Amino acid sequence: MYEILQHTADVRLRVTASTLEELFADALRGLMAVMHGATAGAEETEPVEVESVDVTALLVDFLNEALVRAHVRRRSFTGASFPSLSETRVAATLTSVPAEFEEDVKAVTYHEAEVRRDGGGWTTMLVLDI
Amino acid sequence: MRKQDLQRLADFLWEIPRTYRDDMRVPGRVYTTERMLEQIVGDRSLEQLVNVTTLPGIQKYAIAMPDVHEGYGFPIGGVAAVDADSGVISPGGIGYDINCGVRMLRTRKTLAEVKPELRKIAHSIAREIPSGVGRGGPLKLKGNDLDRVLADGAKRAVEIGYGDAADLDRIESGGRIAGADPDKVSSDAKQRGHDQLGTIGSGNHFVEIDVVDTVYDDEEAARLGIAHGAIVVQIHTGSRGLGHQVATDFIRRMMGAMPRYGIHLPDRELACAPIQSPEGESYLAAMAAAANFAFANRQIITAGIRRAWPEPLDIVYDVAHNIAKVEEHDGRRLVVHRKGATRAFPGQPVLIPGSMGTASYLLAGLAGAMEQSFGSSCHGAGRLMSRTQAKKQIDGHELRQRLERMGIVAEAASTKGLVEEAPEAYKDVDAVVGVVVQAGIAKKVARLVPVAVIKG
Repeated sequence: MYEILQHTADVRLRVTASTLEELFADALRGLMAVMHGATAGAEETEPVEVESVDVTALLVDFLNEALVRAHVRRRSFTGASFPSLSETRVAATLTSVPAEFEEDVKAVTYHEAEVRRDGGGWTTMLVLDI
Repeated sequence: MRKQDLQRLADFLWEIPRTYRDDMRVPGRVYTTERMLEQIVGDRSLEQLVNVTTLPGIQKYAIAMPDVHEGYGFPIGGVAAVDADSGVISPGGIGYDINCGVRMLRTRKTLAEVKPELRKIAHSIAREIPSGVGRGGPLKLKGNDLDRVLADGAKRAVEIGYGDAADLDRIESGGRIAGADPDKVSSDAKQRGHDQLGTIGSGNHFVEIDVVDTVYDDEEAARLGIAHGAIVVQIHTGSRGLGHQVATDFIRRMMGAMPRYGIHLPDRELACAPIQSPEGESYLAAMAAAANFAFANRQIITAGIRRAWPEPLDIVYDVAHNIAKVEEHDGRRLVVHRKGATRAFPGQPVLIPGSMGTASYLLAGLAGAMEQSFGSSCHGAGRLMSRTQAKKQIDGHELRQRLERMGIVAEAASTKGLVEEAPEAYKDVDAVVGVVVQAGIAKKVARLVPVAVIKG
């Protein structure tokens, strides 16, 4: 699940999940919710692969990869499955529909991001530049 | 951080001493009133400023301007100068909206002359200039055509028919940052921005029509062609998706490179590389290209406003407030990061847009800026309230009515966008400007109040 929290200029998201796959999927859902796209049209799926130095950077880089695709192709991601996910590499299949966004998220930042195990699950904070 | 962690150096200047945290290389300095300082310590701006003081090669102090507020990595309203030979460049110190900036145009009209036509003019401007998320503009450039804009900025926009050569003399750096290399801009960034020239975007970006309600310095105002009662137009926007992606690409690349250079920082968003390194040089060349895209964007928007305006419009000035510049200070070559801060060299016009419904200022830089703040001033009123809080507290319908009662025409694509930028979401711009004036950084030339706001 994700929660939108206060930030003076931007948007702070707290994401918590029981598995790492769910954390990545919920963070993507949170990002798309902030962009708030009115969607209509045919679904498409596409593969995404990202490698990063650690699991926190992997999540931020994965979300930024989804963000640039969302902006360039004007599509909102409605689903994600993860054929392969380690702490430094993700291979995902994303489902998207055409969208007109209401919020311009410029980027997902590394600021305050720290993916960590929390009890039985995973959690992180994310700050989005809007 | 608490207020008692800072030492007062002068009426409007406070210092976070190096002893505050072990990893500080220089102190942090904050230009503010005591009252505003109490607001500033309410978010994480000053912790972020302390993080900036840890950058390798930073000179003298990291500075927060009175409009400072919490950002990510650097605070917004932050200035950091690093040695150009031994220091680092941090893309987070420029921000995602590279060369976000402000341009002011002067008209030949007074409010009385414009008032009957105001709604129509605002509507025509809104029709000429696309605003809102992902809205493309009239110009869709690809390949070499886009690269020429990235290389030459506003100069290229003039060459392809948007404005004339005299415009370039009224833009910071002539509307073209030297050293831009379009090949250092990724294809993702080019794709993200290729159809966005001539568009405002969303968030706090706008076109605003203002009336000059006070002239403080007759001589300076006359030099800039500004008189009491005159109508001016302000444009606030930047490099759109292209700049956002350049920052994303390089922050990621530098984060990966930092261990190789033995750099460890308290916040990854400050990711940096030595200026004299392949990563540092590539970023500066890509940042210059994105900055040029922004100068061209404001030039093309100007052409749209000129189409909508019944008479010729001249540029008063155009400033960047998210940029790094190679400059000489005290005989040394420095790279000055300004994130939400405006260059304020002596005699240079400094444009400080306030929130819609309050006021904006035209200032002129003073020698004091060179002595105190690496030739830098504040950049706006500075946010006080989060967007979420604004949406909770402010009623969109009431806001539209209030603006109407104040005589302000609002052409906004979305009520949500209007509410997020409501006057109460910002600090008191008069107080913010008062600080830079009292500190001797800049002097007031004129104060403007809005009569029409066009935004996404």
